[in-house]
Amino acid sequence: MNLRAIWEFIAGDSRRAPVAVAIAIVTAIVLVRMAPASTIAGVAFACIVALGLAAAVFERT
Amino acid sequence: MNGWTLAGTSFLASAVEAVEALTIVLAVGVARSWPIALRATAYALLALAAIVAVFGPLLHLIPIDALKLVVGIVLTLFGLAWLRKAILRYAGRKALRDEDAAYEREVATLRAAEESQADKIGFVTAFKAVLIEGLEVAIIVVTFGAGSTLALGWSAAGAACAVVLVSLVGLALKSPASRVPENAMKFVVGVMLTSFGTFWTGEGLGVAWWGADLSLLFLAVFYLAVSGVLVAIARAPRTVRA
Repeated sequence: MNLRAIWEFIAGDSRRAPVAVAIAIVTAIVLVRMAPASTIAGVAFACIVALGLAAAVFERT
Repeated sequence: MNGWTLAGTSFLASAVEAVEALTIVLAVGVARSWPIALRATAYALLALAAIVAVFGPLLHLIPIDALKLVVGIVLTLFGLAWLRKAILRYAGRKALRDEDAAYEREVATLRAAEESQADKIGFVTAFKAVLIEGLEVAIIVVTFGAGSTLALGWSAAGAACAVVLVSLVGLALKSPASRVPENAMKFVVGVMLTSFGTFWTGEGLGVAWWGADLSLLFLAVFYLAVSGVLVAIARAPRTVRA
């Protein structure tokens, strides 16, 4: 089993969803360091993941 | 974290995978022979047990925040993949998985195989099905149970109940469990996995969630609502520009 197969096993065939998760992580890291309440970082993370899901649903694979 | 929630999510996810594996095992049993199907299943379960035994304890060697982050990211990706498929199926953009059709396809393939090769093909087919579907279950069980021994117990108990229940029903009926609402289960599991993944990734990054574990419920409702809207949008007929 190669790395690509393992990746597809976990993340499926969408390219947009993993990109959204990566953006969400970077955003959350920045917000956790800056924001007075870290819940804001959590909410931002969930919203970006949801946008990623939307992008993945309308993605051509 | 609530043990029943862990066990319930693990149960649903494992039931979906068990139905898919059982379909193939039944096809091999009916088209070739039951000893081959059962032997392949037993070997695959042994291989799975070995994988979990080796990699499961390693998780406890990783610092808890790093572990939550890794587990959270894997669960989020896993959940999004399940949820995307379920949304596309509900929206009619992807065919619903038909266990009857999958079963007939496997039986036809095995019957068409040359006699000398058929037993080997049957064994490999059943082994792969149980191993791959079982790996998905193992990932869910181990990642959900990574937090503590108690959590691992709840998670494993949910999975075990699902596998035993689906196997008993399948063996009693000797036919694919096509009446199981597989897509609805995948939809729910996708929402749960994405919610748990978001929660743990956040904790791993240092987010102090409002309401602690209660925020899991808010996350699940949020992702459920977003998914419902996406199904409605994806289902709507597209206007074609002139």
